[in-house]
Amino acid sequence: MFVTPLSISNLVLAAAAGPEAGAVEAGKGSPLEALVVQTLAPIGVAVLLLASALCVYRIVRGPHLADRVLASDTFAVLVVGIVVLLAIILENDLFFDAALVVGILGFVSTLAFSQYIGDRRRAAEAARAHAGGVGLSPGEAAP
Amino acid sequence: MNGDFWPTLVDGVAIAFALGGLFFMIVGAVGIVRLPDVYHRIHSASKCTTLGLLGLLIAAALFVGTAEVLLKGLLTMAFIFVAAPIGSHVLAKAAHRDGAPTWSGTLSDDLDEA
Repeated sequence: MFVTPLSISNLVLAAAAGPEAGAVEAGKGSPLEALVVQTLAPIGVAVLLLASALCVYRIVRGPHLADRVLASDTFAVLVVGIVVLLAIILENDLFFDAALVVGILGFVSTLAFSQYIGDRRRAAEAARAHAGGVGLSPGEAAP
Repeated sequence: MNGDFWPTLVDGVAIAFALGGLFFMIVGAVGIVRLPDVYHRIHSASKCTTLGLLGLLIAAALFVGTAEVLLKGLLTMAFIFVAAPIGSHVLAKAAHRDGAPTWSGTLSDDLDEA
């Protein structure tokens, strides 16, 4: 299959061509294909939405901040799964790029929140020492 | 044997992979709700991420079957397999540094003693 090079001009052309641009030509001729597209993939989306609801429960409930970050990370992965299934249902290749982007964003947000959680206690202690004027010596004070 | 055999076989294998992926996804989500502390939940979420997404992406690549989709699926899989353990590790270490409470049945904490 001919793979177009990834460039701005091609993206603009694809956007101008409308939502049908990435459509896959149908007709591999398998009797299972209609079953998958019309029945099994929507059932899979429903299952992933149920799993997302469980993650939302943990985001709302979670006692520690790490619980919420963990649940939102898993939520991003579930969204990647939903997007992949939507690519099958709508028969459009472009959704796979969206899946990759959602995965990258989930990973980066997890790393950023982890930095915050890891430094939170030390930053609070440094702020308290700074306000009280006692505790850490000036050389040890966190920037 | 008619000409439908190989496409049907490939689609059947794709359905099997998708069912496995969905199973691990729902098991990971149930584990996130049911397990007792942060570290147990990270363990469960890693199953959900790696095995669940692996199954779904293999299924989608097999089902669509073009070179583009295969390449994008492999790229996403490679990224997730690098990113998910890193994210879990960093998050677990951050939770430990913040003093996240452990389950009452936890036997030892080697990182705390170090």
